[in-house]
Amino acid sequence: MIQDPFTLGEDTPPERRRWVSVVVPKPSRGRRLALLVGLVALAATVWIAAAGTGYAYSPAPTRAKVAVVDVPGDAAGAKRLQTKLQTQNKNLAAALKKMAPSGTYVVVDQTQNRLYVMKDDDVARTAVCSAGSGMVLKDSGGSRKWVFDTPRGVFKVRNKIANPIWKKPDWAFVEEGKPVPKNPADRFESGTLGKYALYLEDGYMIHGTLYTRLLGRSVTHGCIRLGPEDLQAVWDAAPIGTPVFIF
Amino acid sequence: MIATLSAVVLLAATPAAAPAAEDLARLTAANDLLTKQVALAKGKEFYLLLDPSDQTLHLMLKGALLQRYRVTGLEVGVPRVLYRTRADAADWEGRVWDGGRLDPARPLDRVEVQAPPPTREGTELEVKVPPTPEEKYPVPSRYHIRFAGGLSIEVRPPGTDSKRGLWERLTTGIGTWWADASAAVGSGPADTVRLHVVLSKEDAASLYRALPPATKLLVLPPG
Repeated sequence: MIQDPFTLGEDTPPERRRWVSVVVPKPSRGRRLALLVGLVALAATVWIAAAGTGYAYSPAPTRAKVAVVDVPGDAAGAKRLQTKLQTQNKNLAAALKKMAPSGTYVVVDQTQNRLYVMKDDDVARTAVCSAGSGMVLKDSGGSRKWVFDTPRGVFKVRNKIANPIWKKPDWAFVEEGKPVPKNPADRFESGTLGKYALYLEDGYMIHGTLYTRLLGRSVTHGCIRLGPEDLQAVWDAAPIGTPVFIF
Repeated sequence: MIATLSAVVLLAATPAAAPAAEDLARLTAANDLLTKQVALAKGKEFYLLLDPSDQTLHLMLKGALLQRYRVTGLEVGVPRVLYRTRADAADWEGRVWDGGRLDPARPLDRVEVQAPPPTREGTELEVKVPPTPEEKYPVPSRYHIRFAGGLSIEVRPPGTDSKRGLWERLTTGIGTWWADASAAVGSGPADTVRLHVVLSKEDAASLYRALPPATKLLVLPPG
């Protein structure tokens, strides 16, 4: 009985080990050629199938599809429909124009720390600013926390103050490791906000900074900081009521 | 755009005789588009207006232009398996698409800081200088803005591949094909319509870093 050599254990004496030799016949030249052609054909099939699988792109259409409209059979009816549609078009265009801000408005790209003063859809001034850091601050007891994000949306310049005095909120003391003062007078600090502050809503402002080297980075507690020259330009360009769009 | 749509009105108004059905159809389509733009401008969400005729992509809010991106190329892609198209690319223009999200998503890493116990003198918190936006948000060479309903904008700056070596281009090409094929082959294709938008490298990076969440999209039909 021939035992499968692969089932022999290590302790099997060498004289009992018998190997089965398998002779593989060498393929003929014709068979090798056929094998090669088969492989190439298979590769080509896979390639063609792969090329036809995925996304097929074509240039965007240059002509709009024409919708089908029920046109009244008589000329007078068609004319009435046309007049109605024209009036509707005029009203819609007017409504859209009314919604868009006219004149000056401010746009803040809070992710890339850029502020744009816009005038009728054109950029009148680009400024490097600093927006919210996104940091989360927890007080030492862990009971309160603040998230320093700049909110997205549309706001208005509610008030403008020259030489503003900052009424420090609780987080400013917590962050500095100081006790929150009981006396409101201990909260006021001058100089920190720079020369001007434009108040938006919910305590958010566009103001100056003592840390101009950090402009362009997200470092604030939610307000928008500007360098002195850009702050002056925004102060001059944006009266109270100016829309401020933050994205 | 308002000027373009108003031009349609003038065009339709020109003939003195009964208006042609085609003019009325164009006027109806223009009104439908204006209605959608008014609805978008009334909403609270940010939206993108892609205007192939003007070659622009606008980021808007409440009817206000926030950012203008120059579109240098636009192609429409549909999924196909073995040369057979799997989805109908009709009606992607002039329709409002919701819930735009970046793929791959822009990372949002928040730093949490525990304040020190309060003392009379206070404690200076050691805060590291944060990275610049360019350092913080690396932009992939190819990304998508995927909208609910199956439309996706694929943004790829021109010449992205030309600066790479042969091996890198080959592996990237295979990777791209694999991703596309997987998306097309699935039981329901991931994107029923893809708009391949070509922006400059700067604009593509800016859009990736700045796109607000859940942005809407309206593609304006060619004028």
